[in-house]
Amino acid sequence: MLAAILASGLAIGAVYALIGVTYNTMFSASRVMSFTAGQLGMLGGVFGALFILRLGLPPIVGFLLAMAGCAVMGVITEAIAVRPVLARLDQHLYVLSTLALALMIQQVAAIEWSTEPQPFPRLFGIGNGDPFDEKFWLPLVACAAVIIGLELLYRRTLVGRAFLAIAEDNFAARALGLPERNLRIASFALAGVIGGLAGFASGELMLAFFANGAMLSFYGFVPVALGGLGNNRGAIIGGLGLGLFQQAANFTFGGVFASVAVFIVFIVVLLAAPQGLFGAPVARRV
Amino acid sequence: MTITRRGFALGSAGALGVAASGAASGLARPAIAANEPIRIGWMGALTGPLAAPSIGFDRGTKWIVAEINGAGGVKGRQIEIVARDTQGDPTKAVNATQELMARQKVHAVWGPVNSGESLATTPIMARQKMPDLHPCVVNSLIDPAKYPNAYRISPSNTQWDDAVRNYCMNILKLRDVAIFGDSTGYGTSAVKDSVAGFAKAGANIVYQGVIDPNQTDVTPDLLRMRDAGAKAMVCWSVTTGLNARLMNARAAINWNVPIVGHPALGAGEVGKLVDKPANWQNVYMDGYRSCSFGPDGKLPPRSQEFVDRIKGKIELGDTSLWWITCAVDAINLIAKAVAETGSTEPDAFIGYWNKLSRYPGLFGDYTFTPTEHNGYPTDEVVMSAANSQRDGAYTLAPGYT
Repeated sequence: MLAAILASGLAIGAVYALIGVTYNTMFSASRVMSFTAGQLGMLGGVFGALFILRLGLPPIVGFLLAMAGCAVMGVITEAIAVRPVLARLDQHLYVLSTLALALMIQQVAAIEWSTEPQPFPRLFGIGNGDPFDEKFWLPLVACAAVIIGLELLYRRTLVGRAFLAIAEDNFAARALGLPERNLRIASFALAGVIGGLAGFASGELMLAFFANGAMLSFYGFVPVALGGLGNNRGAIIGGLGLGLFQQAANFTFGGVFASVAVFIVFIVVLLAAPQGLFGAPVARRV
Repeated sequence: MTITRRGFALGSAGALGVAASGAASGLARPAIAANEPIRIGWMGALTGPLAAPSIGFDRGTKWIVAEINGAGGVKGRQIEIVARDTQGDPTKAVNATQELMARQKVHAVWGPVNSGESLATTPIMARQKMPDLHPCVVNSLIDPAKYPNAYRISPSNTQWDDAVRNYCMNILKLRDVAIFGDSTGYGTSAVKDSVAGFAKAGANIVYQGVIDPNQTDVTPDLLRMRDAGAKAMVCWSVTTGLNARLMNARAAINWNVPIVGHPALGAGEVGKLVDKPANWQNVYMDGYRSCSFGPDGKLPPRSQEFVDRIKGKIELGDTSLWWITCAVDAINLIAKAVAETGSTEPDAFIGYWNKLSRYPGLFGDYTFTPTEHNGYPTDEVVMSAANSQRDGAYTLAPGYT
């Protein structure tokens, strides 16, 4: 019983964590919370099922195409929903623009793909629904790969350092001659890949379903708020914790009461630490 | 010629007088009424996510109308279907209802065919006493005192629940049950009704609850049911993803108790989502005797004759046979009322239907009275093996003869 709760809790927690990192990656480059993060996760699953099951492509080709498709969607998000907003003084318009784009993505997926959940291919055929089934550990592997990849990118590459520079202070970065717009576009493409990877790796668990987008946008935001905006370490710990707590609450309370328990804890944490568990209080110029 | 106010008033009075004297003396109706088409409003969600049942109903509707009209119509009157696509949206259904009654002047309505829409349209049709046949399951849609014009030609939720309870307690002989549904409005209310029914029948309800239809892993819920001592799971969910996850999780924890419940357990989409075909075994859904293959592998004679007749004319592979036969019955019931009474007035339909006893339809034998507008016989509701769909029909669950 404990193994079942741990396996599914960590798996779904890893997905929430990756969506949290997707939010953060887009936020760092633009200071915009893009609500398309969950839809990128949904598209990872839908593209995977489309390329591998429906079109019959080899899994590795399907995976690469799915990631490319999600990267393109990230770039489209930047071009349609973010860039026009950044040109305005009132940046809070992003709430409308990114939400509108997220709804459009969801509706197109519903019309063109299916309104019913569709199967996702078994990638390795390991496990039989038990706690060691691949559907439970694939999201964890994806999460680990993203953590390592981002560490290497940010600490070992010039492009990664440039990302950090615009995340820290984009005015100063621009003054130093960094191509802020191109870096922002690249950041959104990277966010698309991370979101898509979350959806692809969890496809066997969550199925290829258009409604996953809204659910992931919602639950993926919780670790961001819990861990502190822009803090990837906080998002990963918050996501894994959320998944474990949610599954434990499912077992203890059952059904919809589990969601109530999750959000009670969420509110209590935010009341105790408004900046998130790992976020630093923001200094305000006076 | 100039029309004056006095001339118009005199002429109108004269015309009214002639009409009144004609009516009083029982003169025959004008020829136009005798030959005018019988206009039937047909409302279904023909497009959109809820379209699958309506497409099946639509096939049956079109087929029977073509048959009746091809045979000369109803006492020489052709049937004219005025179809409206409600897209599963109650607002669109309300607009369509008003348009059908006010502008199209339909004589009777068939549909809507989902409960959400019917909840919105039934009171509107009742105000104009528009004769209405529908196949929607929500119990409150039928109330002869409030809606004397509305008749149900499919089972109600209570009848579905009766069949599930009968199967669990009397055929499988299992009294320890877990009852749950999805957390939609339908699932929540169905669980409540089902729990009340099982409790009244003396069952031991060891678990009850609702599950978020998007919950990715239902293992914790199943473990709770298993630990509570459930010997059968009663499931009220229309969500194919949740139903499939339930079956996969049951297999993963190696707990092969029967799953019994809503017809969506047998939806074709579930078959695509189960990890292996064996996971779909020992699952039983509400079905109908008229649309079930018996132990001999055959449909009842009346249904088999119909299936043979429509072979090559109506596609059955991607739909449910009962959607088609129910639609055929709806149009036949309207046509029969006109044929027997010679009238398309609301009172004629209502008066005729209120006296029907065991009317032999394709989907079932219908009985209505002035105080009972649930016309579908409870003994026709049976359980079917969920994984057995073939040509729109299912195999009877084990235990039925």
